[in-house]
Amino acid sequence: MTNYILKRLGQGLLTVFLTVSTVFILIRMAPGDPAVSYAGPLASNEQLAAVREQFGLDRPVLEQYWIFLQQLFTGNLGQSYSFQAPAMQVVAERMPYTLTLATAAILLTAVVAIPLGVWMSRRPDTGKELGVNVLTIAGQSMPDFWTGIMLLTGFAVLVPIFPASGFATWGGLVLPTITIAILQIALISRMVRREMTNNLAAPFLTVARSRGVRSSALTWRYAMGNSAIPVFTALGTRFAAMLNGVVVVEVVFAWPGVGSLIVRALETRDYPLIQATVLLTALLAVGVQLLIDLAYPLLDPRVRLGKAATA
Amino acid sequence: MTAQPTFTEQPLLEVRDFQVELITDAGIIRAVDSVSFSIHRGETVTIIGESGSGKSTTAMGILRLLPEDLAVLSGTVLIDGVDITADPKAIDKVRGKTLALIPQDPMTALSPVHSIGSQLFEAIRIAGAASAKDKGALQARAVRLLEQVHIPTPEKQLKKYPHQLSGGMLQRVLIAIALASEPQLLVADEPTSALDVTVQGGILDLLLELQEQRGIGILMITHDLGVARLISDRIHVMKDGSFVESGEVQQIVDHPATDYTRALLAAVPVLGPWDETPAAAPGRHAANATGSSATSDPALTQTGAKP
Repeated sequence: MTNYILKRLGQGLLTVFLTVSTVFILIRMAPGDPAVSYAGPLASNEQLAAVREQFGLDRPVLEQYWIFLQQLFTGNLGQSYSFQAPAMQVVAERMPYTLTLATAAILLTAVVAIPLGVWMSRRPDTGKELGVNVLTIAGQSMPDFWTGIMLLTGFAVLVPIFPASGFATWGGLVLPTITIAILQIALISRMVRREMTNNLAAPFLTVARSRGVRSSALTWRYAMGNSAIPVFTALGTRFAAMLNGVVVVEVVFAWPGVGSLIVRALETRDYPLIQATVLLTALLAVGVQLLIDLAYPLLDPRVRLGKAATA
Repeated sequence: MTAQPTFTEQPLLEVRDFQVELITDAGIIRAVDSVSFSIHRGETVTIIGESGSGKSTTAMGILRLLPEDLAVLSGTVLIDGVDITADPKAIDKVRGKTLALIPQDPMTALSPVHSIGSQLFEAIRIAGAASAKDKGALQARAVRLLEQVHIPTPEKQLKKYPHQLSGGMLQRVLIAIALASEPQLLVADEPTSALDVTVQGGILDLLLELQEQRGIGILMITHDLGVARLISDRIHVMKDGSFVESGEVQQIVDHPATDYTRALLAAVPVLGPWDETPAAAPGRHAANATGSSATSDPALTQTGAKP
């Protein structure tokens, strides 16, 4: 088990390293000049050169990369150009907001999608099930910027129940959470329905029914117990993905998380800030993924105990 | 097999004009067509037939385990006097109580993410033999049930999960689970067909032993005349949803009345000297090779038909 954890930890760190290295190269290949963003369009060539020198952008890319690697190992990715503060610190301050939003969205998804999927699986091919099924397809098809703007128009402008932007009160959490959750509920509930339908038709369920196990126990203990593993994995993976910033939704709702931060960092070509954001979110995503893998044996005795059956 | 039952008492299972119609895309199929039979205490009645003959559908229909919206049952099925065709809810009175199922494939018949113990405890609770709170009584009862089906070190097996046990052991666990409620009637749907030949005999022996001890009635579903002959009192030969022949085991085996039964009899492999004469029909060797391995249990081979 320790070996397994160490191996996965090593793989995770390698993934993070390759990710930040790729981003380092890509942002330097992309058009745009941080010096122009920083000094403004009216700056003279001399001013631009001075800025480049200040940021170390006049050095060869390989040398910049070497400096970046040194910074990586000390955990200090340099000053953000636009914030004039350590980039890591700027990202770290934004992280709790994204974490809050992602946690709220994944909880809402789980609370709605699991019962909904179970509900659908218990009445296959009925009118009601078909109706809900169509709704989930609609939920899956609506782009989140559109859903967000519709919700904003409806519940912040026309009927001003919730604030339109920011996170000044807990009410501000509601609309962005719903916006993210609609798509996730559509996806997860259909997955729950598929898994449940398979498990409700499994031989062990028929045999359990034959010995008088009640319908609710058949659904939840047997069918859900066996559907939990893939559903849990899907929820965890989606949560990890959200930590990379729910970019569009954060921008639509002016949410002060890493998603809106990285948009700003990209616009201003704020290299240290881009790198710090990618590093921190990649670390978090890999960490969550590792936790999911470690939780697997708890959920599935076949993973925990391995194959042992022989004649 | 067992003491001659007294037919004056009410049968454990009485089936009259039982029909199962399955609703399929191709239309309505009458999978079981007006079958009638009965099982008394201590009796084993076997329905034998080839795949698709409707024998498993009969068993699943009697247990009401067919999809409610796709299978239409009619006729009368009285389980210990309870009519389960007239009232769909009536089956709840007998499931996990007087009636128990021994499934076809033990490897898929238990939930893979729940331990043997938790599934056995649940059956004991449903039977009302011990309450959920009394952990000691549950454990003691579970251990005794596993002992009765001859599972070694029962305490250890309770903590195991299905994937850690062999097919034969799992079938014993399933029989123990079935016994939790002290059932009067066991429906065994091809209980040995998914098992290794070396353990098939052991499972049949166990069923016979339990029947002898408890006077349980058994409805056995099989395609294997060797199995049928070993354990049955009476046999119903099923083809295309109805019984083509019914009677005492010996009578059916010795004097089959229909070609279909003769074909089933001929399908039972024979252990004998290796036939190497060139006159043997093509493919005969292959048939012999598989046939002899399928009957390595002497208890099964003695029943082989001798044409």
